[in-house]
Amino acid sequence: MWTFLRRRIVSSAVPLVVVVLGVFALARLTGNPASLYLPLNATQQMRDDFAARNGLDDPLWIQMANYIGGVLRLDFGTSLRTGEDAATMALRAFPATLQLAGVTMLLAVVLAVIVGSWAALKPNGLADRVSSFISMAAASIPDFWLAIVGIFVFAITLGWLPTSGVASGASWVLPIATLLLRPFGVLVQIVRGAMVSSLSEPYIKLARSKGASETRVVSRHALRNAAAPALTVAGDLAVGLINGAVVVETIFGWPGIGKLMIDSILQRDFAVLQAAVLVTAVSIFTLNIVIDLLYALLDARVRPAGSMRKRRVHVPATA
Amino acid sequence: MSSSPLTRRGSKALVGAAAAAGFALLLSGCGVANSGGSTGGAAGDTLRIVLPQEPPTLEPCEGSLTATGIVTRSNITEPLVERNPTSGELEALLATEWEATGENQWTFTLRDDVTFSDGTPFTAASAAFSIDRAVNSDLGCNVEGYVFGDDDLVATAVDDTTLTVETVRPDPILPLRLSFVEIVPESTSVTEKVREPIGTGPYSVASWETGTKLTLDRNDDYWGDAPAYASAEYQWRTEGTVRAAMLTSNEVDVAVGLGPDDGAGELGVDYANNETVALRFSGDIAPLDDIRVRQAINYAIDRDGILGSLYSDGTNVAAQLIPTGVVGFNDSLEPWEFDLDAAKALVDEARADGVPVDTEITLVARNSLFPKVTEVSQVLQEQLSQAGLTVKLSMVDTSQSLQYQLRPFVLDEGPIALLVQHGNQAGDAQFTVDQYMTTDGAQSTFGTPEFDTMLADAGLKSGDERAAAYEEIFAYQNEEIVQFATIAHMVGQIGLATTVDYTPDAATGDEIRLADFVPAG
Repeated sequence: MWTFLRRRIVSSAVPLVVVVLGVFALARLTGNPASLYLPLNATQQMRDDFAARNGLDDPLWIQMANYIGGVLRLDFGTSLRTGEDAATMALRAFPATLQLAGVTMLLAVVLAVIVGSWAALKPNGLADRVSSFISMAAASIPDFWLAIVGIFVFAITLGWLPTSGVASGASWVLPIATLLLRPFGVLVQIVRGAMVSSLSEPYIKLARSKGASETRVVSRHALRNAAAPALTVAGDLAVGLINGAVVVETIFGWPGIGKLMIDSILQRDFAVLQAAVLVTAVSIFTLNIVIDLLYALLDARVRPAGSMRKRRVHVPATA
Repeated sequence: MSSSPLTRRGSKALVGAAAAAGFALLLSGCGVANSGGSTGGAAGDTLRIVLPQEPPTLEPCEGSLTATGIVTRSNITEPLVERNPTSGELEALLATEWEATGENQWTFTLRDDVTFSDGTPFTAASAAFSIDRAVNSDLGCNVEGYVFGDDDLVATAVDDTTLTVETVRPDPILPLRLSFVEIVPESTSVTEKVREPIGTGPYSVASWETGTKLTLDRNDDYWGDAPAYASAEYQWRTEGTVRAAMLTSNEVDVAVGLGPDDGAGELGVDYANNETVALRFSGDIAPLDDIRVRQAINYAIDRDGILGSLYSDGTNVAAQLIPTGVVGFNDSLEPWEFDLDAAKALVDEARADGVPVDTEITLVARNSLFPKVTEVSQVLQEQLSQAGLTVKLSMVDTSQSLQYQLRPFVLDEGPIALLVQHGNQAGDAQFTVDQYMTTDGAQSTFGTPEFDTMLADAGLKSGDERAAAYEEIFAYQNEEIVQFATIAHMVGQIGLATTVDYTPDAATGDEIRLADFVPAG
C-alpha cells in the first residue's frame, strides 16, 4: 500500500512542479502591476518605489527563487489588491466552488442516468428522440445566456427565486441549474449510448431468459456496465467545474475560485493567482490519489490496474 | 454475475464519484453555506446597495480608488474639508476654517466636538498624523500619487484645534488636495494598510463577509446629524443587468453603475457624472502630426448624431475635457461643428502639401470603457473614413490599453487615435491639464514650450485669475494644439427603489454618501 501511495505521490509531483513554474511565468506575461495599482499620473519615483516595495525590481530569476522558497514554506505572499494573505484568499474561495461543483455533478449524474437509461430502452422511440433533442440543446446552450434568461424568467418575471447571491438555499437553484445543463446534456448522450450497447449484450438476454424483471435487468446488469464511460466523462466535467465556473460565479456573485483567478489575472495580482492555481491543482492531485487509494482499499483486484492507471493532469484553464 | 473488467471500472468510477461528492458535501458546512443575509428580505432600517465590484480594501488612503472610496469616503472616514460636487465650492467638515498663512503654509481650525467611532477624540494631532501617513509614509497610498506627487508635506499640530500644513512650493489649492485625505486616529498602522478603518464618519464597519457582503452600522456618537438608515448593506455583482435585476426584484434599494440598457426601467436615474469622452491623437506621428488632419477629424465627427442616436437626454456635446463645475471650465467654448466638406478640404490640402494622409490610422478603444463604446467607435471609424482618412478600429482590454494611454507610449503601431474617457473628480483643471496637455504629461502625446509655460503659470494662480487662466488654456488647446477631439460629457445612471429618496450628483459614481439617503415619503 505504501509503495502504491508513494508511486502515486511521486507521479503527481512532477506535473505539480510544472504548474508551480508555469503559473509564475504566465502571470508575468500579463504585464506590470504598477500601471494598474498606481494613479495614471504617478511619477517614475512612485513606480520605482512600488516595484521595490513588492519585489518586482529584482531580476526574474530572483523573483522565481523567492516564489519557490515561499511555496515550500506555504507562504504565497500578500495580495496587491486587498493586502490580505494570498493563500487565505484562495482557501476561502475554493470551498465555495467545490460545493457548487459537487452538488452540480451529483445531480447531473443522477438525472443523466435516469434520462439516458429511459431513452436507451427503446432506441429511436419517442422517449429517445425527445431526450436526444433536450440533451443536445442542453449541451449547446451558452451558460452566460442561460444565466441571464434564468434570472429574467425566474427572478424578475415569476419572482420565485433570488437573482443571485449566496444568502439562502434558493440562491443555489439558478447557479446550479445553469451549471447543470451542459454536463447533463453530455452525460445523457454517453449514458444512452453505453446503455444501448449494454442492453444488446448476451448476458442481458441471459438475464431476461432467466425471468429477471426489466427493472432488475436495467439497474443491476446493464447500468452497472454502462456506468464506467459515463463516470469517466463525469470526472472530466467535474474537474472542469472545480477549476472554476467563471461565468456562473461572475454573474451570480458566487465567491468561488474561478472568479478569484480571473480577477487576479485582470488585476495582475500575481500572489493570489499563484496561490489559487496551486490550491486547485493540489486539490485535484489529492482527489485523484484519494480515489485511487479507495479503489485499492475496496477492491484488491484493481490495485495492479490502479497502479498502472494513466494519470490525468489538469492544470487550471485560467493559469 | 462475474465481474468483468468493465464492471470493475464501473465500481472504481462509482467510488470516485462518491468520494468527490462526499468531499464536496463535507465542505458544505463551511464557506458560502454559512453566509446569512437579508437578500430578498424587507429593507426596513437597512439601506441595501449593490456595487459593480467588492471593495478591495476600505483603507482610507486608497480612497481615491473608486472601488474603495465609494464606501469609505464620507461614510466611515471624513476629510478636513470637502468639495461640493455641484457648486465646486469647498465646504467645512472636520475643519471649520482655513487660510493661507504664508507663501508655503496653510492653517486649519478644527472642530473640538468630534470623536472617532472607537471613542478616541479627534484633534489636530490626528489630522497631522493622517496627512503624514497618507502623503509622507512608505505605504504607497494611492491618494499620494493621485493628488500630491513626489512632494512631501509638513503637518504640525499647533494645539488641539489648530493645524498648519507646509508645502515645498506655493500651493494655492492645498485645501482642495487635502479634501482627498481621510482622517484616521493615531492608533492606525503606519507600516501596513488597514482593511477596516476607524473614522469619524456617520457609519462604522459592522461586519465584512469577504466575497459576499459588507455591513456598516450607524455611528451613534457621530458629531453631525444622525443619518436616516441604521445600517447599510453592500453586495456586489459584476454584470449591470444583474444589478438592475436585483433592484427590480426588490433585493436591493440602490444599484450603482448601471448602463442605459441594463433594464432598470423607470428606477434608473441619470446624472451628469463628470466624465468626458474624447479622441486623443498621437500628434507626433504622421499624418496626425499635421494640425490640419487633426482639425479635419474634429470637423468629421457628427457629435449630435452620435449622442442623439445612442444616448439618452442629459449627455451633452463636449467642447473641452472638463465639464461645468470644474474650476477652469470655459463656458464660451463652442463644440466643433459637423462639416464634412471642411474636413475633406483640410485633408486634401494636407495631401497636396505632401502629408501622408493615406497612412492607416488606428482608432484604439477599450472594451467596456463606457456604455456603447463599441458602437461609438464604429461610428467614429466610419465618419473619419468619410473625411478621406484610412482608419482601422482596434478594440482592446484594460491591460493592453495602458500601452496606448500612458507613457511610454507604444511607438511601432503608426498613428493612433485613442478613445479616452476622463473624469476630473478633484474639481480643478490642473488635475486634467498636467496629465493630458503638458509636453511630458503621463497621458499627453505632445505639446509646445509656449503651452507648457501657460500651463505652469496657471497652476500658480488662485481664485478668479486661476479660473480665467485655465479657460484660456482650453481655448488655446482647441485653436492651436488640437491634441483632442472632445465628443461628449457623459451621464451615469443609478438605480433607486421607490422606497428611497436620493438625488445623485456629479460625484455619485465615486462617492455615495449614505447620510444623503432617506426613506421616501
